[in-house]
Formats: sequence, C-alpha cells, structure tokens
Amino acid sequence: MKTTTAKSLRVSKKEGVRKPILAFLKSLLTDAVFDAILIPMQVPAGDSYAWVLVKDPSLLDQANPLAPIMPVQGAKALKSLTRKGEGNLKIAAVMRPCEVRASVELAKLNQIHLESITLMSVDCPGVLPVADYFENPGESEKRFNAMLSENRWGNGSMKSVCQICEQFSILPSSDFHFGLMTGSESSVVLISSSPKGQRVLKDRSLDGSVSLSDWENGIESIRQERKKERTKRFREVQSMVEGFDGLLKTFARCIGCHNCQSACPICYCRHCYFGSEASKLDSDFILKKAEQRGGLSFPLDRRMFHVGRMSHMSLSCVACGLCSDACPVSIPVADVFSFVADQTQRTFDYKAGEKREEPLPIRQYRLEEIKGVEEWVKDAEGVES
Amino acid sequence: MEDQKQKEEFFPKIVGYLCNWCTYAAADLAGSSKMELSPSLNVIRVMCSSRVDYNLVLTTFFGGADGILIAGCHPGDCHYDKGNYYARRRYALLKSILETLKLDPERLQLSWISASEGKRYVDVVNEFTERIKKLGPNPINRNAYY
Ligand code: SF4
Ligand code: SF4
Repeated sequence: MKTTTAKSLRVSKKEGVRKPILAFLKSLLTDAVFDAILIPMQVPAGDSYAWVLVKDPSLLDQANPLAPIMPVQGAKALKSLTRKGEGNLKIAAVMRPCEVRASVELAKLNQIHLESITLMSVDCPGVLPVADYFENPGESEKRFNAMLSENRWGNGSMKSVCQICEQFSILPSSDFHFGLMTGSESSVVLISSSPKGQRVLKDRSLDGSVSLSDWENGIESIRQERKKERTKRFREVQSMVEGFDGLLKTFARCIGCHNCQSACPICYCRHCYFGSEASKLDSDFILKKAEQRGGLSFPLDRRMFHVGRMSHMSLSCVACGLCSDACPVSIPVADVFSFVADQTQRTFDYKAGEKREEPLPIRQYRLEEIKGVEEWVKDAEGVES
Repeated sequence: MEDQKQKEEFFPKIVGYLCNWCTYAAADLAGSSKMELSPSLNVIRVMCSSRVDYNLVLTTFFGGADGILIAGCHPGDCHYDKGNYYARRRYALLKSILETLKLDPERLQLSWISASEGKRYVDVVNEFTERIKKLGPNPINRNAYY
C-alpha cells in the first residue's frame, strides 16, 4: 500500500500558482532535500523554453513548472541525464503528467534510471502548439497565464491531444504531485505518494490540514468533460484515417523527414529501423513494384513508416503530441497515433506510464489468452467487444 | 461484371513464415505424403514464430502480398520454450493496429501446426487461400504509394 500525505501551499490571487511552487522548490534545494532540480526554464530571448538542471537556487526564479509549450519532452531530458547510469545526485524532475508517464515507459525500456530521481508531476492545463506560440511568444504567454489564473481549463487553444487528455493529474507512478485545481483557488495541494515523495514533505512546516475533496472534484469534472470530447474526436480521427485510402490521404503529404520519430520520447532507438540500411529495398524489387502499380512514389515509406512506428511504440505512447509539433507539413500525427495507441493499449489492458510495476505487454504473456488466433476474435484481455 | 471476372482470375500471393521445428516439418510431411495443396504459399523458413517481427510482416504487407501466414508450434510445444507466446502477443498487437485502421486484418493469420500435422497444414493453407481469394488483391497495390 502506498502512503499518501497531503499538505498545502497558500496562493495569493495576485501572484498566481507559480511563485509559491518555485519558493517551495527553492527551499528543497537550500535545505539539501535535493542536490538539483530538472525544470523548464525560459530561454534568454524569452521566446521558448529549455530543460535546465538547476543547482543554484536563485536560478529557479526564471523557471516555470507550467511552461505554455513543450518544445522537448521532459522524458528525453531525463534520459540524457541518466544515460550512463544513475549517478550520485538526488534529483527532482518537475514535469507534466505525460512526461512522467514517458519517463516511466523509458525506465521499463531500460533507457532511464529512476533510482535517484524523484518524479514530481503538476496538474496540467495542456500546452499550446509550438507553432502558435512562436507566432507571438509575448502574446501567447499572456493568453496562457490569463487562462491559468482564471481557471479556464479545457481551453480550445491547447494542443488537440491536450484537449482530450484524461491523465492530466496525479498518477500512481509519480512520487509527488502539485494539485492546482483547488475549488477555492487559494492553495496548491502537495501530495506525496511514495517513500521518495515522503522525503519531500518531511520537516516542511506547511499547512497540513488540507481536505483533498475540492481538488478531487475539480479534477474529476474536467476528466468527465474530456472523456466525452475524446470519444467524439477519436470518431473523427477514425473516419479520416481508416482504410487504405484514408491512411494514404492522411500521410500522402509526408516528406519522410522522420521528425515525428526524432521528437518522440518513446522512439529511443539509436539506430531507427526506418531509414536504416536494413530497411532499404533493392532496385529490382522497386522496378518490379513500379511496373505492377504503374509507378512508384518517393520517399518510399509513406505508409509503412507510420504503421511500423505504431507497431514499435504505440503500446508506450503517452499522447504528448510532440510528433504533431515536429511535423513540418502539419500532418496531425499525434491525433492518429494517440487514437491507435488507445486501441492497442486497450487490447492488452495497459495504460502507458501509469503503473511502474506493470511490465510492458510484449515482454510478458499468459499461458491462456488471445484464443482462436486463427479466426481473430477480439478476446485478448480487457478488449471491449 | 469486369470485377467479377477479375476476382475469378485472381490468384493470391501469400507469404508464409513457417517455424523450422514444426510447421516447416509439417509442410515437408505434406509434400512427402503427396497431399494436394494450393501453390499460393511462398514459404520462408524461420527459426521460431517469434522471429517474425513487425518490420518483417509490414514489409511483406506493404510490399503487396495478398496474405501473410505465420505458423509455429502449439502453445506449450515451442522449441525454445516460450517463443510462440511472445509471437502471439505481437500478432495481437499487429491485428489490433490493422483492425483499428481497417487495413484488412483478415490478411494476416497466425496458426499453430505441429510437425506431425501434415494434413492440418494442407487444410490451413487451402482455407486461408480461399479466404484471400474472396477478399481479392491487396489494395496496397492499387496506387503508386508504398
Ligand atoms: S520507429 Fe521503431 S526503430 Fe525507429 S526509433 Fe521508433 S521504435 Fe525505434
Ligand atoms: S514529421 Fe511529418 S513529414 Fe516528417 S516524417 Fe513525420 S509525418 Fe512525415
């Protein structure tokens, strides 16, 4: 059983939620609860954000646990941090829930070492598409902040995947959580849900008399709205992408840059199969295909690459939407991938990144399952018929 | 009418990935026992049904094969103890993707055929061939996009 402790931070209406969170994080650094904190920070020009591993507490003034965009997935930053093993520093990573989930998936894939890391999640209102933000960073900051302070969640200017995200709050896999959606708007709830998280709240002189029900109700009502929207959107995506022609129409303008794959936190392979020598076809085969089909269009892998990538990563897809942000020809990659991922994860009754102890579906099996393989009946565990 | 005619003339190309330790031997048995078998199957011998990874299946599928048969040992009989259980999970994943995208999931089949089941091998191949004949050619071949 997990032990959960909750405390709260006072928030003045004028200041908003960021300041008290940052002050709290600062105290964790100065009191050596952590040796460093990984957190998004505005770049010097003020027109984007970067992940910074902060050692000097005063630097935290420029940090932003609720950056309006996600140019790099947090799990990617964490991956480079622990690429060569865990290290000796005690580090806190302050992330959006989808970044926590991607980190957990990468840990299962042996790409991140979480031993010395404390994952801290923040209630997430969503992020703006980077292209929209870059049009006018100053304006976008204002718009995003207004939305935060007015508690207008579920805002239509967020990325499309954010608008239908149901896992935007506390997760069984995070160590510590900052809950923002308090009914009174006057506090941030701090929830520790693992021994590592407990260390964070130990010895903090904070208001311990919090009732979580306001916050929980707030989260639940947003989740219900999102659920409805999700069903509706998935139906639209399905009618766009389904069938051989639908798939072709959706991806026909793909230029094969594979940016979606390089931005993906889950696609960790140092040598991606697609684009590798092994994936190249010999010219006789290509000529034969051209003859059969009357012609052959290049780059060759317009459909195969995307379906192939789905088979490799959809079980771990956290629907962060970085692939859509990365696409130079505005293909709604994330809408398609999150829809497919929803289905494949359902097939194995799995939710990417939600539980640390749950092994990856393709790394395990049950003796009796997926019966009647010869006439595919949807009877894998947890599948809705 | 034209369509009907085309379907009648259509003879499917099926790629079969057969496990060396069971189904490949079953194919051998069927041959040496002179059983009659549809010549639609192009056999590729693999060391285990779990050798058949996603890329292999999808290259075959997007390359234009009309059907793909993966065949291995019955559950519990894998030469490597548990390869076929993993194969079954991968197959379930691929099926789920093809089904979600409505890309003719029926064109992919996984069967368990042991070394002694020559007759079963013939039945599986013939039935699968009939099914693909009814489905018609792989629509992936309809245009210039791979
Ligand atoms: S598409 Fe597949 S091979 Fe390429 S990086 Fe992603 S998981 Fe690895
Ligand atoms: S980023 Fe866009 S154009 Fe580039 S490979 Fe992905 S879908 Fe195609």
